[in-house]
Amino acid sequence: MASADLQEVRTPFDEFEAGFNVIIDLITPGTRVLDLGCGSGALLQRLRDEKDVEGCGVELEQDSVIQCVERGIRVMRLDLDDGLGGFPDLSYEYVILSRTLQQLMRPDLVLKEMMRVGSKSIITFPNFGHWKVALQYLIQGRVPQCSTHPHPWFNTPDIHPVTISDFRDFIKEIGGKIEREIHIIGNVPREDAFWANRRAEWGCCLISAA
Amino acid sequence: MPTEPIREYADSDGRYGVVQTQYAHFDGVQLESGFYLGPLAVAYETYGTLSPAKDNAVLVVHALSGDAHAAGRDEDGRIGWWDAMIGPGKGIDTDRYFVISSNCLGGCKGTTGPCSRNPATGKAYGRAFPLITMSDMVNVQRMLVDRLGIDRLLTVVGGSMGGMQALDWAVRYPDRVRSSVVIAATARLSPQGIAFNWVGRNAIYSDPIRACGDPEKEALRDKDGRGLAVARMIGHITYLSEDTMEVKFGRKRKLTDMEGFRYSLGENGTENGEFEVESYLEHQGSAFIRRFDEDSYIIITKAIDYFDLEGQYGSLTNAFKDITAKILVISFSSDWLYPTSMSHAIVKALQATKKDVSFIELDLPYGHDSFLVNAGMPSMTRIMKGFLNGVR
Repeated sequence: MASADLQEVRTPFDEFEAGFNVIIDLITPGTRVLDLGCGSGALLQRLRDEKDVEGCGVELEQDSVIQCVERGIRVMRLDLDDGLGGFPDLSYEYVILSRTLQQLMRPDLVLKEMMRVGSKSIITFPNFGHWKVALQYLIQGRVPQCSTHPHPWFNTPDIHPVTISDFRDFIKEIGGKIEREIHIIGNVPREDAFWANRRAEWGCCLISAA
Repeated sequence: MPTEPIREYADSDGRYGVVQTQYAHFDGVQLESGFYLGPLAVAYETYGTLSPAKDNAVLVVHALSGDAHAAGRDEDGRIGWWDAMIGPGKGIDTDRYFVISSNCLGGCKGTTGPCSRNPATGKAYGRAFPLITMSDMVNVQRMLVDRLGIDRLLTVVGGSMGGMQALDWAVRYPDRVRSSVVIAATARLSPQGIAFNWVGRNAIYSDPIRACGDPEKEALRDKDGRGLAVARMIGHITYLSEDTMEVKFGRKRKLTDMEGFRYSLGENGTENGEFEVESYLEHQGSAFIRRFDEDSYIIITKAIDYFDLEGQYGSLTNAFKDITAKILVISFSSDWLYPTSMSHAIVKALQATKKDVSFIELDLPYGHDSFLVNAGMPSMTRIMKGFLNGVR
């Protein structure tokens, strides 16, 4: 199987509309939301406009941070791997980590910080367990490259590929509880998909402290 | 001596046009120390038009060596120190905002300071000028804002010492400011900062002693020594970064006698700045003597030394507890005088007290002065525009 075929099937990494919609649906209007790895603030802008959310973003990339300011989004330029030391306990109703989990140096420490700072956490991540990813590895014997994991192995921010099954174990391990699990399959969010670990391009979970 | 003029500030066009410094006169001001200082004059400029609701006023506060002339051209054609940021269509858009800029208390550019006449003696205050604090400077700004009939400022923005004042405004007058932009500043001057200021003042103190209240004080050009120039050179070293010096000057030399060697010092045994970095500092120092007063330098650096919100309020969280303004904190990655860690301390205390704070560290190699130089302007402009747009 050629990797070009895979790329057409996958949800494009940069147009994460489906994922945004899933997150937005999970959030109660009028709450405080912290978006970790918020990029240029597109999600927070939608949350502000559609859900009257009081948002704050954390982002490391300078130009994205400036774009947040231009959108009128409150933002902090911080490295998530340095922790969330400045954020008081339970100061947000929701802490979002969208598409960033697999890029962290220590996802475990960041997740624990999220559960400290927010009542609930929402995490979305590209599923490395998808059968096409697996097939690429199995048949070609190469590190999979596709639109959810678009970078070559030697230069990728996605340093910690994770599958939906891995993620379930991981949350149990760090003392959290998955309240809702949503899978995005072919750009459609589903909650009780059969064989999700092998079929979903994206996982999205609502987590609370166990 | 360098052939082309060395610009201290970003290139700019003076688009706002010709501006004239104005003066507000007051009976006096009660200083934090208890001393009553009067009469009081405040030099200021304004740009743009105050809206009928008086809700578009932006107060710009200058750093150590600045003055009221922040934008446009003065009568001599001199362009303001932040003209690259303030003007029609610029970061702080004078088509939208009413911008106020005043010379700080203790300054030498029109606001009451050591050069002013002491009513008790009829001569200039000189070193008899009372010691002041950052809050005294802020109080004088507040009196000016009152005089202009403005109840609530849209924002107070300043870098370095100006950043300290922008923060102090938010702390002390929570109902008078909607937002503050705190650039390359600290909530507490570090011992290192105090040390540099002390060395600078010592250079001034080592000049031949002049009696307090010298009647000739008004003439800034008549100096007995070069202490102020040395103080400015030390200051400039702390404002730049190693990277900037490497790129701007390297080890380039201006003066060599033959084949890269110099056989002797210059006339009268003076060096005259052989390396380019030396002639840059020499130029900055000499230019500063002509435009700044040494006693103002002493008074203002003392006020900076005293600035310590943590000490004053017991803790930063206690200092910040009444803040209602939106705060934007900006630091520069190459600033080693007020490094990012000092901005972090401000941000953390604001977070702990659940204030509306944003924080940006900009990757700029130009050190503490990054907010004044060309390279800083594109990002600073985007940030100021975006932030002001969101202040209600």
